[in-house]
Amino acid sequence: MVISPVHYIVAPLLAAFAIALLSKIYKNAARIVPGIVLFYNIVISLVLMPQVLEKGMISEVIAGWEAPWGINLVLTPFSGFLTTAVSVIGFAIWLYGYKFKVRLQGGEVKYYEILQMMMIAGSLGVIITGDLFNMFVFIEIVGITAYSLTAFYRHRDGAEASFKYLLIGSLASIFLLMGILIIYTQTGSLNMAQIAERMPMVPQTMKVTALIFFLIALGIEAEMFPMNGWAPDAYSQAPSPTSAVFAAVVSVAGVYALIRVTFTVFDVEGVHQYLIVMGFVTMLVAEISAVAQVNLKRMLAYSSLGQMGLVLIAFGIGSHLAVFGAIFLMLNHAVIKALLFMSGSYFIYNSDDKRLIGLNGIHKRLPFVSAIFSIAAFAIIGFPPFSGFWSKFYILIAAGDENMIFLIIGILMVTIIELVYYLRTVARIYFYKDEVEHTEHKPSINAIVAMSFLTLFIIVIGIYPNLITGYLHQAADSLLDKASYIQHILK
Amino acid sequence: MMEFSEIFFKYKDLITVAVYGTAIMLIIIGLYGVLLKKHLVKIAIGLTIMDSGINLLFVAVGYIQNGTAPIFSPGHEGDAIRMVDPVPQALVLTAIVIGFAVTALALSLIIRLYKHHHTANIDQINSLKW
Amino acid sequence: MNTLTIILLILTIGAAFTYFINAVNHKLTAISAFVTITIATGYFFGLAELGDQFKFALGDFSMQWGLNAFSYYFIYIVLGLSWLALLYSIAYMEGKARLGYYYGAFLLTIAGMFGVVISQDFISLFIFWEIMTWASFLLVIYNYYYNIKTEGMKYMIFSAIGAYAMLTAIVFIHHYYGTFLIGEALSKGAFSFNQHIFIPIFLLLGFGIKAAVMPFHVWAPGAYAKTPMSFTAVFSGALSKMGIFGIALVFSTYYITHNAGGFIASQILAWMGGITAVMGTIYALIQTDAKRLLAYSSVAQLGYIVVGLSTGTKLGIMAALYLAVLHAAFKGALFMVAGAVEKQAGTTDMTKISGLIKRMPWTFLVALISIITLAGVPPLGGFVGKWLIYEALITESNNYFLAIVIFFSSTAAFLYSYRFLFGLFLGQEEEDTKDVKEAPVTMLIPMLMLSFVSIITGVMPGLVFNPAAKAMNALGFADTNWDMTSLSNIWGNTTDLSLIGIFIIIVFILGFAVLTLKGRKKTKSVGTKDISSSGELWKEGENWTFQQDFFKPFQRAAAPLYKFDMDKIWSDMGNALEAFFGFFRKVYTGNGQTYAIYVIAFLAILLIFKDYIFN
Repeated sequence: MVISPVHYIVAPLLAAFAIALLSKIYKNAARIVPGIVLFYNIVISLVLMPQVLEKGMISEVIAGWEAPWGINLVLTPFSGFLTTAVSVIGFAIWLYGYKFKVRLQGGEVKYYEILQMMMIAGSLGVIITGDLFNMFVFIEIVGITAYSLTAFYRHRDGAEASFKYLLIGSLASIFLLMGILIIYTQTGSLNMAQIAERMPMVPQTMKVTALIFFLIALGIEAEMFPMNGWAPDAYSQAPSPTSAVFAAVVSVAGVYALIRVTFTVFDVEGVHQYLIVMGFVTMLVAEISAVAQVNLKRMLAYSSLGQMGLVLIAFGIGSHLAVFGAIFLMLNHAVIKALLFMSGSYFIYNSDDKRLIGLNGIHKRLPFVSAIFSIAAFAIIGFPPFSGFWSKFYILIAAGDENMIFLIIGILMVTIIELVYYLRTVARIYFYKDEVEHTEHKPSINAIVAMSFLTLFIIVIGIYPNLITGYLHQAADSLLDKASYIQHILK
Repeated sequence: MMEFSEIFFKYKDLITVAVYGTAIMLIIIGLYGVLLKKHLVKIAIGLTIMDSGINLLFVAVGYIQNGTAPIFSPGHEGDAIRMVDPVPQALVLTAIVIGFAVTALALSLIIRLYKHHHTANIDQINSLKW
Repeated sequence: MNTLTIILLILTIGAAFTYFINAVNHKLTAISAFVTITIATGYFFGLAELGDQFKFALGDFSMQWGLNAFSYYFIYIVLGLSWLALLYSIAYMEGKARLGYYYGAFLLTIAGMFGVVISQDFISLFIFWEIMTWASFLLVIYNYYYNIKTEGMKYMIFSAIGAYAMLTAIVFIHHYYGTFLIGEALSKGAFSFNQHIFIPIFLLLGFGIKAAVMPFHVWAPGAYAKTPMSFTAVFSGALSKMGIFGIALVFSTYYITHNAGGFIASQILAWMGGITAVMGTIYALIQTDAKRLLAYSSVAQLGYIVVGLSTGTKLGIMAALYLAVLHAAFKGALFMVAGAVEKQAGTTDMTKISGLIKRMPWTFLVALISIITLAGVPPLGGFVGKWLIYEALITESNNYFLAIVIFFSSTAAFLYSYRFLFGLFLGQEEEDTKDVKEAPVTMLIPMLMLSFVSIITGVMPGLVFNPAAKAMNALGFADTNWDMTSLSNIWGNTTDLSLIGIFIIIVFILGFAVLTLKGRKKTKSVGTKDISSSGELWKEGENWTFQQDFFKPFQRAAAPLYKFDMDKIWSDMGNALEAFFGFFRKVYTGNGQTYAIYVIAFLAILLIFKDYIFN
């Protein structure tokens, strides 16, 4: 069996169905199968990435219909890099959630894993597809599974968060369809490469209208302001491994879709300004709102929104160094945010008061988790020698090269705001008096291994970023190189 | 609205205008329901109406004057030139299914929300804020 | 591998090792930390040479670490003071909790400082600067039973504002001059005030905040006072000098070229330093807690150093560098004294304890010597520093008014120095402190060694002058030769300090001998409690030591100056900002329909204005 990109999607989908069947026979199947499948995904990545880096791109057609009539899956260095990252982080999150059982009020693990697998399959699909409507379908898959997972716990807030997410998400799908409609009528194709080829011939107003629809729809998925109202609720109410997956996988897919459409499919001027401005507003409003939060997961959710805003700013700047920094930041954010949610949820399990006050002095009971949370917090603020510093630094240098001093000052001021609420939390963890004595849920060995692995990544890449800068440069190149994308697929 | 008037004048067919008009009206009505109605079920209905509207719009776009259904059948292989565009129809099939799933999910969420909050007024379901 | 890298590795691995070994055995932690710093210091002074360089590439950038005379001078302060402070910590921190955390963060801070000083490119400078900042933040919040959140956050926020201003400047140095190397940027005029003036201003902001220059000094009193004293010795002694290091670096172009734009900046900086000195002194006067007094005094002393740096003249820089070393020595010793008192007597609140001279004579001796140095009285080292500053201000930069301000502040420094000494050691003994013992030997040795530095620089200032002159050479000044034991002024007169020192000692010994021998028969030994006041005799349990409102007349006289509360200004700004944020987050109303309306409204806006946004 030749390994091809389609396995990325097929494996988790099959796993979802396999879990449903196997759970009847073997109780623990729901826990083991995802691990096997995600591990297989990592194997695929390791096999395919060298080919991608060598040949520049792999394009795989489905069901024999050649592109552009059929659907094709494209692995460029950029998308390949993201799928590798998603697979690895997904595996770590699975490892972390292996013993995840206690708080499932009424739900069963197998439903949870099925939905999670389908969500990962959908996100991977969004990343590697080369066809607009296929992208729509995968976005919907991600959407539906995400709505269900948000409402997984039977308490009232889960349903509320899920409904809001559903409402906004449906609007997203409607606008996405409208955008696809206009594109289809103007270019007669649904294949991204062919649309990109024919785009110069489309009249300007139609182009811009379609672009606006796409920006709104994919902006909802990528959590841009003012369309990210659903995000804090969804992230905070979902079960903890799901929140981690949201931050690491779903938002990555959303931003990828937005960037792919904006950079490769369309060729409108002024998109870069739009991304910078809206990215900055997203970042500013999100970080400001994070300062006043009393719920840890909600605070982390707002912080996620802020980071996504920074990623959009970086893509908006558009130079090679900026895109490099943006991809680096996406990677860092996925790892660090997953880590924050993972360690944060242990804090929440172990405290009676669900607000931040419940975190007082918790380091005595959970020293390891506290250390990991602190390292992750330092990393996301951008303290050296952790990996978060490098991504922010590259983005700032790229902004400096474009002489955008106010943007730089703005980003740094927002970083100070970020610093305030993260360090406040770290101080609370370490240095307040702790009333409660008993420990209920110490992290199990699998969670420790998963979290240590991700922390190790943060520290090692922080000290020696050269390990991945080569890949990142190629990824950035491939994104900015529209011509070879078109040529490679349509030849 | 420039683009749609272009299409109208190209086809000059009353039925086409009626179909497009209906589709757009459906979308607007659905939007009105989603944005301005307070009852959760009405919002869900609004979403469904919007879905129908956009699907109708899709099919309408694929229509070619005097075209036949895009199905190959024995004896009519040469009709390929006179078929309407099959691609939007495929898209619509997918979209209908997706819309249906989302509606089902929305309705079950509404039931659960009602159980917890004892109200179906969206203005009162805002415990997660700021 | 390169010497410098090895030292950094020793420090960082030592930090990690110490952190983990605490889980194994509490007693080993302190020893492991001390051994680490000893190895690092020994390795450095043994093997590192001037001119050592280490270049490597990290993530598309080429970094460069190196040792020039300027760095070498500061490493004396960093490694020397840290070694002494860690020796002191062994006894001071005994029995406290979370030792692994404390020592780990301490060693990381030292690694950060060392890295800052050896960096020759901006990226390394910034990286080590940040490591130093967050490691010291961890130590500021160590004592959780104080109001750490405010103090720690104040420190971090100000440091971050400074650090990010620095980062902006670094990014733009790269943009305009195309390089990250400090040397190259210097030669291309990156720090000159004539072009892109915001670059040196932002850099000065970053370094100045660390050096507690008014009006950004508000983090210093709280942070210095509430951290464990063994770290504060390093915090105020060495970490603030990193700011001095940076300011000297930024101004070095001005030193050589004396261009017009820099003149205004140097005047502004000089006045800021002067005001810092005055305000720090004034606030030190009214403190009742010995630690806070020392903290404000630190701020004032740093003000002197900044004044010296900003004059841009040979004498001024020499004064600043000399005072930097001396301040590390005597302030480090003073903080250690405060820590010793705190450990032995339980508190440093001067209204609660007094009269410890009998119980802790050696500590008293250290305090006395350090106080004399602080006040600037010969024959101890502080005199030389003060002399150089006055000479620089009056003769070389003609800044008479500032000289008067500094003089005022120096004189007032006498007041709070005496207060510190009197408040803790002189006066009647308190009942509670009857059983206080002298500080342990491992705490006394570092204190005595630092006092020794104060003494020896009083008679042989050349010991500091010569390395400082080499450092100034590295900054671009011409070679100068300084005599080992004498001070000379521009008119050619010299003062031989060793003679003065010997003379004073002879007078002291002779006088002491004469007085004791002469009055041997007619004197009797009297306890501190054998006193009467207005005809009333001392009763058991009373303490007549004058401790409250010590400088009330001065306070009344200087009342207008006290009204200027910088802390309140910053707090008000912070509160206003928080209220502003509170308003903004109401955007996320929690109503799903509202979010949908946002989306549609945004869509409408984009569609209407699409021609302006996307052309």
